[in-house]
Amino acid sequence: MHFLDDFYAYVTSIDLWKFVRIFWFFVFFEFLRFFVLDFLTVSLWWLTRRFRKDRTRRARQELFEQQPLISIIVPGKNEGQHIFRLALSLKEQTYTNYELIIIDDGSDDQTPAICASLKRNGFINLYLRNDVRGGKASAANLGLRYARGKFVVHLDADCSYDRDALENIIIPFFYDIRVGAVGGNVTVRNYKHSLCATLQAVEYFDTISVGRIATSELGIYRVISGAFGAFRREALTRVGGWDIGPGLDGDITVKVRKLGYKIRFEPNAICKTSVPVTFRKLIRQRLRWDKSLIRFRLRKHRDVFYPNETFRWSNFISFVEITYNLVLNIKWYVYIADMVVNFASYIPFILMTNILLYTCSNVVKYLMFSLFRTKRNEPIGYFLPYLPVMVIYFGYYLRIIRSVAYIQELLFKASYKDPWNPQKTSRHAKALKI
Amino acid sequence: MDTKKENESKIEAKDGRISYGNLLFYYIENNSSFRIEELMGYDALILDARDHDFTRLIIKRIRTHYNPEFYLKPVFLLNVKPTKDPLINHLHDGIIYSFDQVPELANIVRQIFLLTTQLDYNLPNSFQAQTMKKVFNFMHTRETKTLRPHIDVNSIVGYTYPELSVSFDDREEAQTLDILEWAEKEGLIWPDFHERIYLCNNCSSGFLSYREVCPHCQSSNAKSEDLVHHFPCAYIGPISDFRNPVDNTLSCPKCSKTLRHIGVDYDKPSVINHCNNCDNNFQDFYVKAKCLSCEQDIEVQYLIPKTIYLFKLTKKGRSAAVNGLFTASQEVEDIFGTIRPEVMKVMLHYEVERMRKNSALKSSVAVFHLENIYELYNRIGAKSRKNLIIELMNLVRENIRPSDYIGLESAATFYVSMIDTDPAAAAATANNIERSMQTAIHKNFSAFEASIRHHIEPLQIGTPVDAQLQLLAKELFN
Ligand SMILES: [Zn+2]
Ligand SMILES: [Zn+2]
Ligand SMILES: [Zn+2]
Repeated sequence: MHFLDDFYAYVTSIDLWKFVRIFWFFVFFEFLRFFVLDFLTVSLWWLTRRFRKDRTRRARQELFEQQPLISIIVPGKNEGQHIFRLALSLKEQTYTNYELIIIDDGSDDQTPAICASLKRNGFINLYLRNDVRGGKASAANLGLRYARGKFVVHLDADCSYDRDALENIIIPFFYDIRVGAVGGNVTVRNYKHSLCATLQAVEYFDTISVGRIATSELGIYRVISGAFGAFRREALTRVGGWDIGPGLDGDITVKVRKLGYKIRFEPNAICKTSVPVTFRKLIRQRLRWDKSLIRFRLRKHRDVFYPNETFRWSNFISFVEITYNLVLNIKWYVYIADMVVNFASYIPFILMTNILLYTCSNVVKYLMFSLFRTKRNEPIGYFLPYLPVMVIYFGYYLRIIRSVAYIQELLFKASYKDPWNPQKTSRHAKALKI
Repeated sequence: MDTKKENESKIEAKDGRISYGNLLFYYIENNSSFRIEELMGYDALILDARDHDFTRLIIKRIRTHYNPEFYLKPVFLLNVKPTKDPLINHLHDGIIYSFDQVPELANIVRQIFLLTTQLDYNLPNSFQAQTMKKVFNFMHTRETKTLRPHIDVNSIVGYTYPELSVSFDDREEAQTLDILEWAEKEGLIWPDFHERIYLCNNCSSGFLSYREVCPHCQSSNAKSEDLVHHFPCAYIGPISDFRNPVDNTLSCPKCSKTLRHIGVDYDKPSVINHCNNCDNNFQDFYVKAKCLSCEQDIEVQYLIPKTIYLFKLTKKGRSAAVNGLFTASQEVEDIFGTIRPEVMKVMLHYEVERMRKNSALKSSVAVFHLENIYELYNRIGAKSRKNLIIELMNLVRENIRPSDYIGLESAATFYVSMIDTDPAAAAATANNIERSMQTAIHKNFSAFEASIRHHIEPLQIGTPVDAQLQLLAKELFN
C-alpha cells in the first residue's frame, strides 16, 4: 500500500518536460514508429477500403477469367504426414487451377511412400526427391525449375490454409502488373496451447499482420513469409531463385524488390501455423531469425544503401526501417543506462509507469486494429488480458534475444554454423560473404 | 557302311527294319513320311535326328499318343545334334552314333518291356488323372521319380516338364502348371522350390518385356538426366542446364561459375526423367511388362506369380502307375442330360425287374470309349473341354429315345441304355452315335480323327447289373 501511495505521488508530480525526459525512449522511438505511424497508415488503409473493395472485385474477375496456372511448391524433409493433410486440404481451395509440386529434401522416413501414393491418386502433380539433402533453398529451387505456372506459391507443409487463401494471395497481382510478390497473412493456430503461444499470437497479429498492412501500404514491406508467399514465376527465375538460407524468405523479397517489382501483403490470404510452445524453443527460433536479418540486410544486401543504378527509395526506406530496429535496440540500452545513472532511486516507479504506458497504447492499438480485421478467428476479448504481459514479452524477452543474436552474428558470423543448412552449402555461403 | 554291316552278322537292316536277336527296330530316316500305326509290332524306334524340327515332331507324335503301345515305345536318336530343346533331350531312351551300337540298346529295350508289363491300364475318370496317369506310366517304365522343370523357349511360360508338357501344345503350357497343382493337392507329387516366374494375366505367357514407362502416358520414350545442385548459389537443375553448348564444359546458369569438383562445390542429389511423348517430368518410372505373346501392357503388380517346382513322386504317385489312379472326378458332373453311372445302375436294376415280369421286352446297354479324345482335350483348354463334352452328349441324345439315359463315367467313357430295343436296332443306333460324333469332331477340330470304340450287350435278367456293366467294359477294352 505504501508503495502504491508513493507511486501515485510520483506519477502526479511529473510534468510534460519531465515526462519526455524520463520516458524519451517510449515517446520518440516506440510511440512514434509503432503507434502513430502504424495508426496513420492503417487509418488510411481503412479510409480507402471502398476503393480497395472495387479494385479487389475487378482483380478477382480478371483472375477467374484468365485462370492462370499456379505452381504450389512445398519443400521439406520428413514432412510426409503433413504433406498428406496439406494435399487433401488443397482440394478444398476455391481456386482450382494449380499444380502441386512436393520437393522431398532427403527424407529418411515414410515420406517417399506417402507421396508416391498421393501422386498415384492425383493429389500431387510432381514429386521430386533429392536422395541427399541440399537445404531448403535448393529444394525450393528444384521446385521452381520444374514449375510451369505463371505464379509460384511457396507453402510450408505443416501450415493450413483458408479455403479462399490461394485465390486471395493471387488477386493483388492483378492490381498492378508491377506486383512481383505477395505475402500471405500468417496467423497462429495453436494460440491456446500455452502462454508462450498466446503471446506469439498477439505478436503475429500486431507486428506481422498489422505491421505488414502498414508497410505494404507504404511500399516498404520487407519479408514475405516462407509459410505463405506468392511470386510471379518470371520474377523468381530472373533473380535465380532462392539463395542459401537461413533467412531466405527475406532475401528473396529483397532480390525481387531490387528488380523493381512491388511487394504486397494480403491480409485476407490467411494461413495458420503452429508456433513454438515453450519459451526455450522460441529462443532458438528467434535467434535464427534475427541472425539472418543481420546477415542479409547488413552484409549481403549492403548495396541498397549505395546510390547506384539499382538504387530505389523504397528499398532504401525498407532498409532504413530494419536498420532502425537495430539502432532502436542499441538506443534501448542507452535508455536503460540513462535511467540507472540519472534516476536510480526512481527505477521501480519508472518501470511501473513504462508498463502502464505500453499496456495502454497496446490496448488502444489492439482494439482499433481489431476493428479493421475482416476475419476474426477468435473474439478479441480472449487476448486482452494478455496485453500487460506483452510489455515484458516485447520489451524485454524478445529484445534480449535480439541483442544476443546481433552480437553473435556481427562478431562471430554464427549463422554459417547453423545445422539448419547442410555443411556443404554453408561453407560456400561464408566464403562468398552472403 | 555295307562292309561293316556284313561283318556284324547279328544286325540286319532292310527296308527301314533293323533286327538284332529277337528285337525288331523301326528306323525312321530324316524327313521321311511316317505313320504312327507302322510302329505296331516293332520293339523300338531309331530316329535319324539330324533335323531338329523333324525330330521334335516325331517325338511329340509318339509321346502324345493315347495308346500305351505307342507312347511308351523306346526311342533312340541317331546323328543327333546338340540342342536346348528339353522335349528332345529328355524324352528319348538313348543316343547312338551308328547302327553298330544297336546291341547296346537291347538291354534298355528289355528293361522297358519288363516294366511295361507291370502297368495297370484302367482308365482314370478325370481329365487331370488321365493325363497324370500317362506321365506316371512313362516315368515308371523309365525308372525316374522326379518331374524336373527345364527352361524352354518353345514353352509359353518359359519352362517345361517334358514328360507332361509333351501332351500339350506349347501355347497351352500354363495348363501343365494347373495339372501339377492338382496332382500336388491329390498327394501324388511333392513340390521342391525351383524358381519364381510371372505370367501375363491375359494369356499366361511368360515372355514379358519389362520396361520403365512414364507414369503419365505410359510411354517408354523418356530421357534420363542427373540433377545437379550447385552449392554456392543453391541452383539446382538437370545437368543440361549446366552444359555450355560451345565447349561442353559445365557452368552454373545462375551464377556462371564453372563446376569444379563433385562433393566440393556441387553434387548430384538425384535423377530426373523427361517424357518425350507427353513432356512431363518425373522421377519414379512405372515398371510395366509388355506381353510378347498377346501384346498386352501390364502393370507388374497384376502379373500372375507362379512358382516353378521340382516335383518328386510321393508314395501314392509312385504306385499310381502299377495300381491305377483313382480320384474324384468333377468335370463330368452337372453335364445336362446325363446321369452318374451309380444312378444308371439303379435305373437298369428297375428295368431288369420290369423285364422279369414281361419276358417279351428286349433291352440293351452300350458302352462307348473315345480312345484318343484326351489328345484333343489337351489341345483346347479347360473351358472348351467342358463345352465339347456337352456337345458330344447332345449328339448322343439326338440319336436315342427320350426314355433312354446316358451314364457318364469319364470324359472319355459313357454308357447308353436302349430300352425296349432289340439288339439289331440297338446296334444300328450305336453305329449312328459313333459316326455322328466322329463327323462332328472332324468338322470342328481341324480334321481331328477321333478313334471311337463301342460295345453292346443285351440286358440279362439273371445277372446283377453291376456285373453286366463290368463285363461290358471288359469286352470293350479287349
Ligand atoms: Zn551457381
Ligand atoms: Zn509421358
Ligand atoms: Zn499375354
